[in-house]
Amino acid sequence: MNSVISVKNLVKVYDKVVRALNGISLEVQEGEIFGLLGPNGAGKTTLVRILTTQIPPTGGEAFILGKNIIEEADKVRELIGYVPQEISVMTDLTGYENMLFYSKLYDVPSSERKRRIENALNLVGLLDKANVVVKNYSGGMMRRLEIAQAIINYPKILFLDEPTIGLDPSGRKAIWSYLSQLMEEHEMTILMTTHYMDEADMVTDRLAIINFGKIVAVGTPSELKKSTKLESVTIVSKLHSNEVKKILSSLPFVKQVYDEEDGKGVTAYVENAEEAVVEIISLLKENSVNVESLSMNKPTLDDVFLAYAGTKLEETTSALEARKIRRTMQRMR
Amino acid sequence: MLTNYVEKVLAMLEVEVRRIMHDRTELYTRAVQPILWIGVFAPVMEKLRVVPIPNVTYMEFITPGVLVQSITFVSIFYGLTVIWERDLGVLNKLLVAPVSRSALVIGKALSAGVRGIFQSLIIILLAELLGVRIILNPFYLLLAAFLVVMFCAAFASLSIFIASLLKTRERFMGIGQAITMPLFFASNAIYPIALMPNWLKAVATVNPLSYAVEGLRALMITGDLATVPLDFLVSFIFVAITIVIASQTFNRIIE
Repeated sequence: MNSVISVKNLVKVYDKVVRALNGISLEVQEGEIFGLLGPNGAGKTTLVRILTTQIPPTGGEAFILGKNIIEEADKVRELIGYVPQEISVMTDLTGYENMLFYSKLYDVPSSERKRRIENALNLVGLLDKANVVVKNYSGGMMRRLEIAQAIINYPKILFLDEPTIGLDPSGRKAIWSYLSQLMEEHEMTILMTTHYMDEADMVTDRLAIINFGKIVAVGTPSELKKSTKLESVTIVSKLHSNEVKKILSSLPFVKQVYDEEDGKGVTAYVENAEEAVVEIISLLKENSVNVESLSMNKPTLDDVFLAYAGTKLEETTSALEARKIRRTMQRMR
Repeated sequence: MLTNYVEKVLAMLEVEVRRIMHDRTELYTRAVQPILWIGVFAPVMEKLRVVPIPNVTYMEFITPGVLVQSITFVSIFYGLTVIWERDLGVLNKLLVAPVSRSALVIGKALSAGVRGIFQSLIIILLAELLGVRIILNPFYLLLAAFLVVMFCAAFASLSIFIASLLKTRERFMGIGQAITMPLFFASNAIYPIALMPNWLKAVATVNPLSYAVEGLRALMITGDLATVPLDFLVSFIFVAITIVIASQTFNRIIE
């Protein structure tokens, strides 16, 4: 596998005070969907802006398909597609006119423009709305139009900054079904940012968890979840919990045992809940413990975030607050 | 390389034309004020005979001045639209596209020119209906159109430069009037420079608006082209300087 995005010790300081990126290094492999997961203000958007040649980094370097993002910015721009966080379509034009404009900016030969635009619009299910002025589109339709625009030059790498922000679950699902179809038709690598845990878990091949401008963990979603070692088995029985704890503690793979907060049951932390549960059941049977219920708990990406960043992702600032902070910062400058 | 550059600038102009085609209300509402100057202010002043002008009516005298004021207003808000596009993410997408920064600025500046031409056509048409006789020489009109585009591009670039300093819509809002109205009154738009006190004469002489008005007045009303080469030269220098400055500061808008 080839690394198509290579980031080395990237630093971005705004106004000599705000350290948005604090030494980021990462490699993105060809053909994968790589996610940047983190709370608002963590530096995800700043990283995307630097990699898409919008703003220069303060320190460090980055390469897109071997091209330096600063010295060879022109070449980088030809290789990438980009969907910003904001809804960035021109709402006073039709969908087709939006596409036509970008096809010209991206040097699509005039003989090919119509075919490519129609293909892209068809792929995102907007061909029948091509000649409707975009202000009459729904939020989800505008997002799909942006994705169609971003692929007009058949980019090798697609940057998506919060691609499903503000969309309802069905809208989000639609975006991802279009994107997966797209990846089948064109060979593409996707780098996306998100603060939706479930989305990061479902769609990404690998993830980097980013907090306060630093990458705190990288891996596949299941690797990351395993690495937290937070899998557990909870047993509810009539037997006194101290007895149950004693029995469970005798197993070598049980790391810790706790009473449940409501007093109904005992939880044992293990490395692999599926394997542990089999042995736990047989051991409890041997000791003739009458088990009323038994459940396995798998860590979520929320737990992963908690483990690596020390806070819960949901408790950090909302998107609206982050935008306010950003605006204030712009005013300061 | 150069054709590629020109194609991308043209693509931006095409967008502006399509925008105007989709929604023309702004062109019409912006025509209201010039009509008040030409249709109400001018006839009253004419009766008072306070501004002595040889050979032409006062209404004819101020038509190019009012036209220039109107297109200055159109252009000075292009910086605001750039800030707006930054907030919407449109600008970010333009900056990621394989287009040079100066092509983006020239595209924006000439877009203002395109809108200025449409605005001028409406004002000229309405002025004709009010009794102003415009010289209908195609060569003169073509030169006038060229002057309008240069002037709009210059003010739009100036506006983009101001936007790169101010960065927010709120701060920009008041700027438009604060720049255009003083320039309008300190120019030959509604009275000849000869009538001004000396200090104002000095201001009017370095005011680029005076040269745009003078050139358009010659091409549209008097037909006396003696000053036109100087008017074009000044306008060209003005637009060249503002475009260069705006191209250098353009990126700062998103930082």
